[in-house]
Amino acid sequence: MAVPAAMELVDLALRAAHAYERPDLAVRLGHTRHRLEDPNVRVLIVGEFKQGKSQLVNALINAPVCPVDDDLATAVPTAVLYAEQPSVTLVWEGEQRRRSDVPVAKLADYVSEAGNPGNRQGLSRAEVGLPRNLLKDGLVLVDTPGVGGLGSAHGAATMATLPTADAVLLVSDASQEYTAPELDFLATAMRLCPNVAGVITKTDLYPHWRRITDLDRGHLAAAGITADLFPVSSVLRLEAVRSEDAELNTESGFAALVTFLRSEVLARADDLDRRSTSQDVLAVADQMGATMRAELAAQQNPQHAAALVSDLEIARGRAAALKDRSARWQHTLSDGVQDLSADIEHDLRDRLRVIGREADGLLDAADPADIWDQFGEWLEGQVATATSANFVWAGQRAEWLATQVAEHFAAEGDAVLPALRTGRTGEVGGHVDRLERPEQERLSIGQKLYVGARGGYGGMLMIGLATTLAGFAMLNPLSIGAGLLFGAKTVREEQARQLARRKSDAKTAVRKHLDEVTFQVGKDSRDMLRQVQRQLRDHFTSLAEELQTSVDSSVKAAQKAVSGDENVRRARIRDLEAELDRIAKLEERARALVPGARKVLV
Amino acid sequence: MTPGLGIAVRGVLRDAVDAYRDSPQATAWLRQHLARFDEPLRVAIAGKVKAGKSTLLNALVGEEIAPTDAGECTRVVTWYQDGPSPKVLMIPRDGPPRPLTVRRRDGALTIDLGGTPAERVDRLVVDWPSQSLRATSLIDTPGIASMSADTSARAGAFLVPEDAPAPADAVLYLMRHLHVSDVRFLESFHDQGVAKAAPVNTVAILSRADEIGVGRLDAMASARQIAGRYRRDEKLRSLCQTVVAVAGLLAQSGRTMRQAEFTALSTLATAQAADTEPLLLSADRFVRASETAPLDPETRAALLDRYGLFGVRLGITLIRRGIDDPGALSAELVKRSGLDELRTVLTTQFTERRDLLKSRSALLALELVLAREPIPASVPLAREVERITAGAHEFTELRLLTALRTRVVKLPQDVKAEAERLLGGDGGTPAARLGLDPSADPAELRAAVLEALGGWQRRAESPLSDRSQVGTARTLVRTCEGLLAALPR
Repeated sequence: MAVPAAMELVDLALRAAHAYERPDLAVRLGHTRHRLEDPNVRVLIVGEFKQGKSQLVNALINAPVCPVDDDLATAVPTAVLYAEQPSVTLVWEGEQRRRSDVPVAKLADYVSEAGNPGNRQGLSRAEVGLPRNLLKDGLVLVDTPGVGGLGSAHGAATMATLPTADAVLLVSDASQEYTAPELDFLATAMRLCPNVAGVITKTDLYPHWRRITDLDRGHLAAAGITADLFPVSSVLRLEAVRSEDAELNTESGFAALVTFLRSEVLARADDLDRRSTSQDVLAVADQMGATMRAELAAQQNPQHAAALVSDLEIARGRAAALKDRSARWQHTLSDGVQDLSADIEHDLRDRLRVIGREADGLLDAADPADIWDQFGEWLEGQVATATSANFVWAGQRAEWLATQVAEHFAAEGDAVLPALRTGRTGEVGGHVDRLERPEQERLSIGQKLYVGARGGYGGMLMIGLATTLAGFAMLNPLSIGAGLLFGAKTVREEQARQLARRKSDAKTAVRKHLDEVTFQVGKDSRDMLRQVQRQLRDHFTSLAEELQTSVDSSVKAAQKAVSGDENVRRARIRDLEAELDRIAKLEERARALVPGARKVLV
Repeated sequence: MTPGLGIAVRGVLRDAVDAYRDSPQATAWLRQHLARFDEPLRVAIAGKVKAGKSTLLNALVGEEIAPTDAGECTRVVTWYQDGPSPKVLMIPRDGPPRPLTVRRRDGALTIDLGGTPAERVDRLVVDWPSQSLRATSLIDTPGIASMSADTSARAGAFLVPEDAPAPADAVLYLMRHLHVSDVRFLESFHDQGVAKAAPVNTVAILSRADEIGVGRLDAMASARQIAGRYRRDEKLRSLCQTVVAVAGLLAQSGRTMRQAEFTALSTLATAQAADTEPLLLSADRFVRASETAPLDPETRAALLDRYGLFGVRLGITLIRRGIDDPGALSAELVKRSGLDELRTVLTTQFTERRDLLKSRSALLALELVLAREPIPASVPLAREVERITAGAHEFTELRLLTALRTRVVKLPQDVKAEAERLLGGDGGTPAARLGLDPSADPAELRAAVLEALGGWQRRAESPLSDRSQVGTARTLVRTCEGLLAALPR
């Protein structure tokens, strides 16, 4: 695990930053350290219901933690993570934000469909701590409630949490090959999450699981999805652990899955940690060294000091310009955010319009009073899917924009210190992957807003609609009574008239609802973008400030350097060389942190 | 109840044929429906991919005729009907019907489309001499939400055609668990036309029920519990008549059990527990070659293929408990599979309502013609359709049943259950409607009817009842009166 080594390195660099009086760099290292302190690697376990998700988690950690039932079992997402002592924490988010600890044995009362039907208690999630080796390195297994079709509202919510996960396991049992919704889900997951794999469960029960696995591989290949497949049997694994039967454990297929979690998921997160820490430390070291290198250059060649100073003055001007509003990256950012805002709004409107049309079609085809319940659910699901797709897309575009800005910043930043960059690789742009974490926070904030919007607006409007329609339902018996008096023809006309009115009222209600959604979600998107903009601006401005500070102190160092006394000069050169040597050692350690041979796509 | 409904519908159909004699298209369409009236009831088996549709069809027929496979298998709508000799007819979308060669492998029919791509085939019609197909023709459909979008489109178009009444009179909807897409599909059976009785012709089946309890011996009990929960589910109640749990594979293999298989199961059951227990741990272990295990791996593989791990486990347990002849074991397996229950439901829900379902299909077809090709004569015909629909008490009952189930008409819970039962929700026989034992004697029936009648008359006249309740009570009074009149004196 990288964390101890990386942590040590960051601490060392922090001490150096304080020693060289560069609090600005210390702040940056502080962020790095903070990021390292949260080692959690989230693995989302998703799938349609009754595929054996909870049992898979139980078999992975060898403890009957997640409730398993023949009927619906899991009602609340359950995160299983490492703890010295077994513990259960319930987490509420939103209005009644709180956490509370409960005895381990009581977990089923809160997370199972039997104990907490339809999550009546409004839990956001449950966290289960267990002393298990597999979890020790920060692995967090998140068992999600099964969803009725991945396209439903639950499915959309799951989709929105994907970008915050380090890996996704799609669970599907060996009774049948992948269905179209499952393949769609995998394709989307591939775009949002670095590590996606399929787990085929219950291989003990289905003799044809090899055929099914092959068929699934075929489907994946046909869809252009590159995900590993792991056929496993949770029953055999649990039995194997109970009877300590190594052969049975092999048959259960869990070895490959555990290896995947360790070597791909954990190692990748680890790799990412090492890489970004290394880059941060290198960038900091480079800037700390710049001052000393400037002074050293001046000390070594006093006759060229004046030229060096004037070079550095120009660099100072460039660094100041980088901070300016007129800098190219600033333009890229503000233009990009504007474009993005327009695009996202348009995308949302477009998606909702399509839903509106479909809804009109449905309402035309049937009596709203008959289909209202199902229709409401359908509408809610469609809107949820559309808004979450919009959010996910917005997140992706925002990330792309960040990369773009980073590139432009790096292009200009590289030009700032040409004289002092002594052939080192350009670490000014080393911040690109630093953005990954803020990106996650942004999305989770957006997602919260979105979930809030869905619950609040969806609920309110649905109820509003239901009562409007209840008004009509009361008219029905009256019309039946009237019909008995006036004969069948009048009844039919009256009924047709009422039906038409019900339909037009229902359509108006739908349009109103969609309007509200557009308004609320549009605001959320804009808020998210503003936050992105602010975050990126602050981030790059502080980088520009760091650069400026570096150049400033370089200029000062170069100016004061020129001393007449040869001995003093020699001593100073020795000092500087020693300091630079220390920094070089720091850089070396930073480079050593990244496993050299491995290339990981970031 | 009133035998008049069928006669009246036939009459109006014949009148329509007469009135439309100038339009060959309409005449052909109407004649077809007139002929359909005398054909066996058409029951379609629908559901998502791999829900076990073909397996259930085989179980109902009692022979392995529909091909089944671990992968997605049925790609063309296939009709199975009784016939004097085995015959397969392919009906392409365009072009004349073409007979296909009948070939069987291990009892199952292998159908070779002869190079015609599946999307060009409208349907296959299989004639098969079988007692089970005499009263009802069965229609096997491709899975919905199938991987190949076109396959599921074919199923959708067949079951819920956009431009014509569905060719099936009734639908068995198979689901492994209740998914949103299942609900959506069931909803599409809602029709706008004549009887407005959506759930009347649909029975939902919790298929592959043995797998719900992951093959444990008590799996069926827990599947039945889940089916019971679904039955009580308000939403599902408004979409189908009832929900039954069936283990299709067990039913199919139970009905077609061979002597050799019984012998093999007995060998396993009587062998040392230490030798058989490891085998039963997983499907892989069951077919693995081993020196100590009874039977050779090929026999075991064949057994597993036919019965599934659950069937094998159950079979062995039953033999150990003392069942010692193939007939008894077969009967017990079929009983445990839930097939008997399904058959009872089919009888009460479909066969007993045959005339009603047929009339409904025919009136839907006639309404379509009247709307599509209006001629002067269609006005009196439409009036006649209206008269039958409004006048036939069967349709009134159906409408009310639907209204109760979809909660359009609200009644107190206990009264509602009684109303649904009286309207024929649990079956159409007088005993079933009155909630009595089928063997109840006329005196008991009479007493029960009179009690129900009194209750509903009071409700119809109570000043506390609102309009819809009065309407409901009046319909039920008439139902009770009908029951009373039909009782032998």
